[in-house]
Amino acid sequence: MASGSHQKHRVKFLHEKQIEREAKLLLDEWAEKGHEITVPIPLDELVEIHLQLPFEIVDLRSQFGGHDVMGAIWFDDGTIRIDASLDPHEYPHLRGRYNFTVAHEVGHWRLHRSQLLDDPNERTLFESGSKPAFVCRDGDSVPEEWQANAFAGCLLMPRELVFDEWHAWRGADAPVPDADLDVRPLARNQKRDVELAREALCKPLAERFEVSAHAMRIRLENLGLFVKEIEPGLF
Amino acid sequence: MSDPLQHFGSVLRERRLEKGFSLRKFAELVDISPTYLSLVETGKAEYAPAAERVRKMAEVLGADPDHWIALAGRMPEDVKNIILKDPEQMPALLRAAKNLTPEQLKKLIADAERKGKGAED
Repeated sequence: MASGSHQKHRVKFLHEKQIEREAKLLLDEWAEKGHEITVPIPLDELVEIHLQLPFEIVDLRSQFGGHDVMGAIWFDDGTIRIDASLDPHEYPHLRGRYNFTVAHEVGHWRLHRSQLLDDPNERTLFESGSKPAFVCRDGDSVPEEWQANAFAGCLLMPRELVFDEWHAWRGADAPVPDADLDVRPLARNQKRDVELAREALCKPLAERFEVSAHAMRIRLENLGLFVKEIEPGLF
Repeated sequence: MSDPLQHFGSVLRERRLEKGFSLRKFAELVDISPTYLSLVETGKAEYAPAAERVRKMAEVLGADPDHWIALAGRMPEDVKNIILKDPEQMPALLRAAKNLTPEQLKKLIADAERKGKGAED
């Protein structure tokens, strides 16, 4: 997902570990209120009940133009709007993308709001509330969008819960090496074939977390549960 | 005074959040899409939800259904049928009663209920 109108880097560098910590902090806040954190993560409740952000599902694509607009966030009052093409009631098969888009906007709120409010040029842009701080589109990776994506992955698939669910599903903690995938031996070096085979394999886990197989695969790769080969003696 | 549908929408949203329901969860409970619920809550829906849908919303949120149906600018189905059954006298009764005080209305309702029950027996 990408910011529509700004090409320069609008945010400072954040390490993946910092992003993961931020996502965990949000879940800890929810847990402190007496809620149990289970799979799937209660994202809608986190947004509207815990963070108390105004939340709407509307036709954003007509408003901002382009068939690739997924979500947007306004920083004056935290309103999150998701495009109606992701409505989970109308399009249940897109539930994973809906969740990821909502979590992505929460990422902007938690990671970028204070940074942008500290920048006088940025602040005047959205102080009136008429302009969104971010309009997020499918398929780009400028730093602020990459960071919000990383946040979404960590929020929807928390490290500990992924390891627990992996163990329950696989019956062991061991990662899956490429050799165990259903990929033709000759194609094993072709990146996309391996990705597709990993996504096919992790689909049941993706359904547990209510995310797409694509998002699940990336998280599992980052957590070292999908590996090229297993180092001898580790498992 | 804001647009009546906008007012209904903001009352609905406030009550929904007070009761701890997310947009998606509540839409699921009253069997509508969250996109439509968003439109209703922001007063942007072309039409208010049907009376029976509003009743369901009020029941889930522990609000008074008749009050909410009126807020949404709809009429309860049973009231509509009563008027349709006697399209001359029932509107006349309502017009005649419109300036009564709440106390007088309460008495009138009690009288009517008693007489109605007598007529049934």
